[in-house]
Amino acid sequence: MKISLNWLREYVDVDLPLRDFLERLIMIGLGIEGTATIGGDVVLDVETYANRPDTLGHLGLAREVGAMLGRPLKERTWPVDEFASSTAEIVDVQILDEDLCPRYCGLVVKGVKIGPSPEWLRTRIEAMGLKPINNIVDVSNYVLFATAQPIHAFDLAKLAGPRIAVRRAKKGETIRTLEGKLVALQPDMLVIADDKRPVAVAGVIGGLDTAVSETTTDVFIESATFDPVSVRRTRKALEIQTDASFRFERGADIGFAPQAALMAASLLTPFGGKTAREMADIYPKPRKAKEIVLRGRRVADLLGVEPEPAFIEATLESLGFSLKANQSGVWRVLAPSFRVDIEREADLVEEIARFYGYDRIPSVVPALEVLENGPARKERLGRFSQQLFHFGFDEVINSSFADPEKEAVLRSGFSAVAIRNPISSKAAVLRTTLLGGLLENTAWNRNRGLEGVHIFEIGNIYRPEEGRPSELLTLGLCTTGPLALPHWAKRPEPAAFFHLKGALEAALEALRYTAVSFEDAPHAFFEEGRALAVACKGERIGRLGRVDGRLLAAYGIDGPAYAAEIELSLLFDKQPRTFEYVPLPKFQAVVRDLSFLVDRTVPYQEIAGAVEKMSVPYLERFELIDRYAGETIPPDKAGLSLRFVYRNPKATLTTEDVDRAEHKLLMALKAALKIQRREGGSA
Amino acid sequence: MPSPSLPKFSTTVETYRTKLRDASAQVRDLRALEEVRNQFLSRKHGAVTLLFEEMKALPAGDRPAAGALINVLKTEIQDRMSALEAKLKAPEKVRPEIDLTLPGERLPWGAAHPVRLFQQELEDIFLEMGFAVAEGPEIETDYYNFEALNFPPHHPARDAWDTLYLDDTLLLRTHTSPVQIRVMEKQKPPIRIIIPGKVFRRDVPDPTHLPMFFQLEGLVVDEGITFAHLKGTLEHFLRRLFGEKLKIRFRPSFFPFTEPSAEVDIECLACGRKDPACRVCGGTGWKEILGAGMVDPQVFKNVNIDPEKYSGWAFGLGIDRTAMFAFGIPDIRYFFENDLRFIRQFHLK
Repeated sequence: MKISLNWLREYVDVDLPLRDFLERLIMIGLGIEGTATIGGDVVLDVETYANRPDTLGHLGLAREVGAMLGRPLKERTWPVDEFASSTAEIVDVQILDEDLCPRYCGLVVKGVKIGPSPEWLRTRIEAMGLKPINNIVDVSNYVLFATAQPIHAFDLAKLAGPRIAVRRAKKGETIRTLEGKLVALQPDMLVIADDKRPVAVAGVIGGLDTAVSETTTDVFIESATFDPVSVRRTRKALEIQTDASFRFERGADIGFAPQAALMAASLLTPFGGKTAREMADIYPKPRKAKEIVLRGRRVADLLGVEPEPAFIEATLESLGFSLKANQSGVWRVLAPSFRVDIEREADLVEEIARFYGYDRIPSVVPALEVLENGPARKERLGRFSQQLFHFGFDEVINSSFADPEKEAVLRSGFSAVAIRNPISSKAAVLRTTLLGGLLENTAWNRNRGLEGVHIFEIGNIYRPEEGRPSELLTLGLCTTGPLALPHWAKRPEPAAFFHLKGALEAALEALRYTAVSFEDAPHAFFEEGRALAVACKGERIGRLGRVDGRLLAAYGIDGPAYAAEIELSLLFDKQPRTFEYVPLPKFQAVVRDLSFLVDRTVPYQEIAGAVEKMSVPYLERFELIDRYAGETIPPDKAGLSLRFVYRNPKATLTTEDVDRAEHKLLMALKAALKIQRREGGSA
Repeated sequence: MPSPSLPKFSTTVETYRTKLRDASAQVRDLRALEEVRNQFLSRKHGAVTLLFEEMKALPAGDRPAAGALINVLKTEIQDRMSALEAKLKAPEKVRPEIDLTLPGERLPWGAAHPVRLFQQELEDIFLEMGFAVAEGPEIETDYYNFEALNFPPHHPARDAWDTLYLDDTLLLRTHTSPVQIRVMEKQKPPIRIIIPGKVFRRDVPDPTHLPMFFQLEGLVVDEGITFAHLKGTLEHFLRRLFGEKLKIRFRPSFFPFTEPSAEVDIECLACGRKDPACRVCGGTGWKEILGAGMVDPQVFKNVNIDPEKYSGWAFGLGIDRTAMFAFGIPDIRYFFENDLRFIRQFHLK
């Protein structure tokens, strides 16, 4: 809201240095967003709040300043030259919808000589950033910026009847607005109509047909109060925002309507304006002042400081409240009609705090008792990230929004949740996968000279569901290029599927999720035969693989790249293994390496699973230490070397014990998977 | 055969000692060492064995002294052999041609995203003060995002929270405040939580706006909680974050869900409150850092908490926006371009 200092001084004396004055305004909650010097005036851009329409005019601002400086407002009078008829005798004014228009004042002013405004008025209008038009229009704007009460001047000669009916629009009615735009009115919109047609959209904008023009001499001045919600809905539907609608949708001062009309009439008097001896004031259900009980104790309870009762009384009275002391420290407070924001005791406490000064309220750290702690999810995410950092993955955070075209290229297998009012078509849906963002980041960094890009993101993906879309916390990984920077002693290895898989396995293991299995499962993200699904305790939680060439091409990445996606929401629903301390063994282990010849069609996971199920005596653990193919091996086979570690926790193992165990293992492997030891293989 | 005598025997021992020195000096490898060892220590014809044979010819009275001379020599031979062997078996120590100033080997290590790092830093300060972390959905209903927080339908206050809608009732949360409601619905006071998370606004991207950003919300509800506690706690938090001597200003503001409401400014660290043309603070010397206030009694009523018995305060700040200020980053979009040269810098933080 623009506030002219000279204009403000018409209401209250301000003699502080500007800097101090602005500082003090800020400390009562009137933020200063800028200042401009125009002629001999300083115009402030004051930050106002949606709950304080009273501060949208100089009078309201002056009240705040008066309370701040402890100064009374200057009294102003608005004299008029009257003529003998009353407004009601000239115009038939009726409210047909009291809910949407609780008060309507009309005042006829005749014989105005229309023309340019005098210098003083032009200066005020220009200070508000507007162009002066003519004396009648400028007076209307002056009243609005002076008092925050919007008024409208109709050309009386153009009002059919002349009649004013405040009613809802009829189906099919239209109006050409002051801006020249023809708009269709809906039956839920409130209009001002004459005998024939709507002449204004109530509280929003006047009609062109009845507007003041060069031939105007007699005007009908409207000063009314309209329902804020109705004004807001109408101006939104019509997409017309005016200085009037901005104020009406925040709430006009119902008590001030007649005064604003009178003020306009008075300002037209120097131009020959003669005012009807009585205004039409339709106010079917006069509102009572809001009454609030204020307890001094409550003020102290909320603020942590106890202002003097005298301070409380003086502050509220200077703001226009009236107080009656009920008993010691308890008041019945009547709110002035311009304070539409005041409803409860807490609202009064804020007023007291504002003028007491937030800086004078002490700073106290509350005594803190121990409270129960929150969920473990955070800690789990931390561990996950640590493992991934360890494997050289950098963390990224991408937008939750996605481009529907990119989503179509990605083919996550899920349709995307659409945003009804997106900012752009490229951010019109919510992402169904993290992969798109990761590929974009990969391309971005590749294009900036980085060869190895190894990144992960933890964030939500979104899927449509019956009722409400689901948000699934998901981990995404993507890796391409050398795993390390070039080094004189070591050539860095390129990213590979098994590096990614190892990182994933390690991260899952760090959270003690050990019942994890993999299976071949094709997916649109990945090359055929280069994709695995990940399951935990039998439920699919994600996938990994070598990114399909179609995607590398779409994102402009020079491959290969490997990616994974794990739905942490599903994973975290499962109970991880509990941590248990295991005492160190007292007896030596025996290590035996065995080589096998295996059909290439038998996945390693199957062999390992078979061994795990076998219950071989003393077998503590085993690992794959080599895998080879070549001339010595039939083309449909692979050679696997496994290291078996045997241990008897209670005694030293004998060779015979191990031999028996190994024999059992070999027999079982043969029976289960037809796997044989490799002839001549290392043993 | 010359007649044996102790002095003569002593000379013989000395001759061997000289031979030992000469032979040792010639040793270049383990094989040569073995030859020298045999020459002196072989049981059959080594120097020591021969000397013991020779000793037998000495008069009985001279033999103990002669024996002592042989034993000293023998120890000398053994020491010299061990030293030579050790030297030969540790050849690196004597080959200094590696340039030890070459760069060391590094394991690659990933970096956390700066927003996440900064979030952690903020969270840690509150966790130390006994706050717990709460979370909630990003897709919200109008009720939780607005109505329960005392934004009536069609109220102009909503204009400051420009919203992305999914349909008539569902929207992307515009702040983390709906989680306040979700927590208070389930949990009775005392409540002391922080709520970090992603939020969304219908803002066109520019250096200080993005349609998606991160917020940290705080909520304290208990008996006897006052505005003074709000000030004390937030001042502690801000000074932990930005320095003990930080100037802080609380000024009145408006939020539908708090009453009284405050905006908290801190001194501009970019210009030290001295540059009238400062890009960061616009010359005001102050930087708006968070919004706060006493929980509005209507909000308490909406979650069935008695506002006569309990009071509380809440605050909210932009994590990424505060990080911009803390690190002097001029454009919020840098955070989500995910340029790894940008992200990795914060590894040093």
